[in-house]
Order: sequence, then C-alpha cells, then structure tokens
Amino acid sequence: MRKVSRLGSEARLGWALVSPALAVIALIAIFPLGWTFWESLHLHELRMPWLGKPFIGLANYVEIAKDPRFWAALGHTAFFTVVSISLELLIGLFLALAMNRVFRGRGFVRAAVLVPWAIPTVVAALLWRFIFESQGGILNALLVDAGILNQPMVWFIEASTAWVPVILADVWKTTPFVALLLLAGLQNIDLSLYEAAAVDGANAWWQLRHITLPLLKPAILVTLIFRTLDGFRVFDLIYVLTGGGPGTSTEPVALYTFNALLQNLRFGYGSALSVVIFAITFGLALFYVRGLGVRLGGEE
Amino acid sequence: MQLNPGIRVELQRTPDDASQRHQLYVQWLNARVGNPSILQLDVVWTPEFAAAGWVLSLDRYGPAKSEFFPATMAANTWAGKLYALPWFADVGLLYRRTDLVPREPRTLEELVSDAHSAMSRRGGPRYGIVSQGARYEGLITGFVEYLGAFGGRIIDDKGAVVVNRPEAVRALEFMRDELYRWHVAPLDVLTWHEEEARFAFQNGNAAFMRNWPYPVAAMSDTVQSKVAGKFAVSPMPASGTAPAGHSTAALGGAQLAINAYAEFPDAAYKLIAYLTAPEQMLERAQAVGQYPTRPALYDDARLKRGIAIPLDNARRAIESATPRPVTPIYTELSEILQIELHRALVRQAEPREALDAAAAKINALIERTGMRKLMAGSSSASGT
Repeated sequence: MRKVSRLGSEARLGWALVSPALAVIALIAIFPLGWTFWESLHLHELRMPWLGKPFIGLANYVEIAKDPRFWAALGHTAFFTVVSISLELLIGLFLALAMNRVFRGRGFVRAAVLVPWAIPTVVAALLWRFIFESQGGILNALLVDAGILNQPMVWFIEASTAWVPVILADVWKTTPFVALLLLAGLQNIDLSLYEAAAVDGANAWWQLRHITLPLLKPAILVTLIFRTLDGFRVFDLIYVLTGGGPGTSTEPVALYTFNALLQNLRFGYGSALSVVIFAITFGLALFYVRGLGVRLGGEE
Repeated sequence: MQLNPGIRVELQRTPDDASQRHQLYVQWLNARVGNPSILQLDVVWTPEFAAAGWVLSLDRYGPAKSEFFPATMAANTWAGKLYALPWFADVGLLYRRTDLVPREPRTLEELVSDAHSAMSRRGGPRYGIVSQGARYEGLITGFVEYLGAFGGRIIDDKGAVVVNRPEAVRALEFMRDELYRWHVAPLDVLTWHEEEARFAFQNGNAAFMRNWPYPVAAMSDTVQSKVAGKFAVSPMPASGTAPAGHSTAALGGAQLAINAYAEFPDAAYKLIAYLTAPEQMLERAQAVGQYPTRPALYDDARLKRGIAIPLDNARRAIESATPRPVTPIYTELSEILQIELHRALVRQAEPREALDAAAAKINALIERTGMRKLMAGSSSASGT
C-alpha cells in the first residue's frame, strides 16, 4: 500500500473497524497520560488553595532532579529490581527444568508451585512481616533456638537487614510466575534436538548451554520485560513490610510518588513524578523490544 | 435534638484512619461539598483547614474561650481567630508499674535510672521504657514531649525554625541514649506503634510506657491484663538538667469545625455548642472514657466514673500539654521530621546532623508554600 490511491475504500473500512479500539485506547491510556503531563506543568497543591494553580513550566521536574530523596528512591528501585529478578530467574529456571521432566504427580506439583503467586501481595507481605517481626517472630525464634543469634534481632531498623524480608518476599511470591513462563518456553523446544545431541555425544551441560538456553531466550526476555516493569513499580510489598524505612532507606519511587500525590496531595509535583516513572518504564520496555529483540506479538 | 427540635442531625461515617479521613475531607472541600456541615478535625489539621478557607471562624458566635484548656484553644487558633472547638482531649501520659517503681519520677534522668533499676531487679521486666518510635506521626508526639522537657521547640513564636537548636539536639540525643547507651528502651520501639507498646506493658514486660489515655480501660481488666491494679499514670517529667525544660505532654484529640460550604452554619454551631457543653462532656467521659476539654469538669465528682486515673493527674497532664506546631503546613513538616528523627534514632545520622537537615528542609517548605507571607499575616504561630 505505497500509493495513496490504493488506500481506497478497503483501508477506510479497516480504519473504521479499528476505530472503536483506538478510541478506547485513547480514552483509557492516552488521555489520562496527557492530563497527568499537563497537570505536571502546574503548581497544584490541593491542601494549599491560597497558592492557586499557576502554570510553572518544568519547575516540578527541576525540583525532582534536585531532590536527593528521589535519586535515592530510584537507586533503591533499581537495586530491588536487579537483585530480586536475578534470583527469580535463577530459581525459576531451576524449577522450570525440574517441572519439565516427566514424573508422577507433575500436574500436582505445577499447581502447588503456583500457590505463593496466587496470594495477594498485601497478604504475603503481612505474612513475611510476621515472620521477621522482632517480638515473637518465627525467624528470630528459630535463629535464637539454633544458637545463631544471642537475642532476637530487629530486622527493620537497619537498611541492610530491612532489605532481606523485602527481597525474600518478592522472590518467594514471584518465582512461580517466572518458572511457569519459562516452563512454557521449555515445552516449545523440539525434543528431537536433544535426541540428536545425545546421539552426537553431547552431555547434559552442553545441551543446556547450546540447546535449551538459546531456544529459551525469547521466553527469558519476555519474563525479564514483565518482571522489570513490575519491579520498577514495586509498591504494596514495601509499603506493608518496611513503609520505606528505616528513614527512607528502602523507599522505592512508587512509594515516594504515592506519598507526594496521595499523602501530601501535591498534584503537580506528584504528576511530574508519575510522568518520570512512566518515561523510565517506557524506556525500559523500548530497550527490551528494540535492543534485545523481544517479540511480544506472535509474528515469527 | 430536643433543645432545638427544628434541627435534624445526620451522621456520616468517615474512615477511622486519620490520614484517610484527611484525604477524604480535602477531596470534598476541593469540590466545595457542603456535607457534612460539621467536620471532626484532628488537632493538627485546624490551621491547614483555616488557612485554606475550608472552615468558618467561630468568633462570630462568641464561644467562651476561657472555659477550655488554653492549649486546646491555641491549637485551634489561626491568624488570631478561633476555627474549631475541642470535643475531647488526648494527651501523652507516662504509665508506671507501681509494684516496681513506687514513686513517680520527677525528672527524665530519674525516669531512666528508675527504669534501669526496675530492669535489673530479679524477675524484673525485660524492658525499661516502651513507646511508639516507628516512622509515623506517633514519633513526633513522643519527640515533642522530650523537646519540651529540654526547653526546645520546633518553631518559635516568631515563626522561626528552631528545631536544630542545642536544646532540641539534647532532647534527641537523650532519646537515642535511652536506646543505645542506657539500654532502657528496646530497639524494637523503632518499629512500634501505640498497640505494640501497650501489649508489652500490659503483659508485664515493661516498667514504663509512654502512651495516650486509651489503654487504661483494657489494662485495668484482670482477664486480659497482667498489670491490672499495678500501674499508675502521671505526666511525662521534664529534664532535671535543662533550666528551660518543663513537663510536656503532646496534645491530641478531636475538634469540631464548621464546613465553609455548609448550608446552615448557624444550626451547625448550635450542635457544636451542644456537643461541647459540660453535660455532654461528662456523658461522653462516662460512656467512652474521653477526656473533657474543660478544666472545671475535673473538679466534678461525676467525672471519676469515666476517667480511670486520678482526676488531678489527668488535669496536670492536659495542663502541661503543648500543641504540635500550629501551622497549615503541619503534615508535610511532620513528614520531614519523622524521617530525620528516625534516621537519627536508627543511627543513620547524628542527632545534630539530622536536625540540621530537618531545619533546612522545613525552611525550604516554608519558602515553597508561601508560608512566610501567611505567617506574617497571622500574629501568633504558636505551639511547640
């Protein structure tokens, strides 16, 4: 369809048919985004009506760039994302390989693995909070009984130890999801490749490196893209477990934004933060799709 | 209401969680909703709502201001005008195990040594002093009490930020030393809210507790409490080493104000006047144990049935109550302080450094929100 004249009635019909879908996308995605961006160019503090709602250009973005708490939050988010996804991929791959074997009760195991994933994040976070609680927490009781600790430890008052329950909870909850995505990828691999490799004398490690991992790459990349975007938006888990503390040393950008927008009701500044988060996740998605060639559609 | 048969009152439920309720109010008022016509405000919200023009000044109705505790009036005054009447008072109290510490400590230093000797007794409690030190508003209420005990303030009468002055640094150092130097407060309190402190005290694990009046009832119940009949309540003491220090209690409680968009403000005021009348306060104290905001009632024998602690102690505590900073930007100011105090108490920063950072951020907040101009307009930005 290089020539306009060939567009013709068929193309117009095509546009007409997709227009409801486009309208819905515009309404639920583009319009709120545009509005948020417009809002972000204003000084708009819901609790301070005396300030009015003046247009201030990019001043909110300048404030973000100058705010050390924002940069720290960005660092925490990146740290959380990288550490938890690395662990999830490693453990998830191991689980997927195990579940891909033919054994009795395979269906049961596959269903059982999904249980943590099925638990709402807030509930899971509360469970982990109970486990790590200093008084009467199960973990402290176990560690003291085993003689590893002399007295119960307060996990949530030091940054280094406060991250432990956060990352563990995320790994515990999300690894099953990763494992299932990878399992789906594994099942697409033609078994005859392994047979041929075995005939040629390749051992299991060689098969993993030269058959499984290359052919699993699309599944791994899809998993990465999902998990990275999720990781960057992490909110509920940390909100419940540490509240961003001690101080603000486990605060992710989403929690910082929530605070600005919904606690302090700074609509202009909070909107600017939302736009920044959007830009970052969009950039990451673009990087995965363009840079690493993740195929989200079905075109092979 | 039988006194005013022409007025029909409708109750509207709001979230119990203070910050959720606040958020809801702000949304309503931004949309200029006139319902409910009476708003129940937390003690630190009144200036914010007044400066925003969301509640009406009550001065036109001429309420008898002198009949209420002065601290409650100060907290509800903005730019020289009264915007809400105190419905009931909440006040920070020091709970003490009378079987372990027979005499009320007269100074903070005595409090620490009493706690220490109670802990080192055979079979003594695990903790000396428990309180709420998680990073939330409760931490500020505790800090305000230590701050007053050392003669410090957050914002002075002229509106200058003084939270990094030496008195304040000493107060914060004292709080930190209770944790790491004298070991009378467990590190756990840095993650605790009111309820965790109550559990610890109620189960007999602490010699002292800083809390509000509400736990008295549950802790006096022999079925669930191990300390029933074995505790007493008094005001938080002042430091014995700070000449300007004075016994200080954080002031909390509910205020009643008139929605600026209300259709019938005069009728609303009649209801507020009724709810804050002496008879009503006595009834509320008896029914739900809430503390009256009128000092005269503490001489009334009928109050004894509602208030489980000696009336004189209750009155002394409220008289030593200090509002948190009375300013429209309180919530954000509090957030800054919460973070910096918590950083100092978990030893991410030295107290001096943390308070300097807090002062710088509060000053920037005052600049950003145009408060200098607003405060110049208001004669007294009082409070701690």
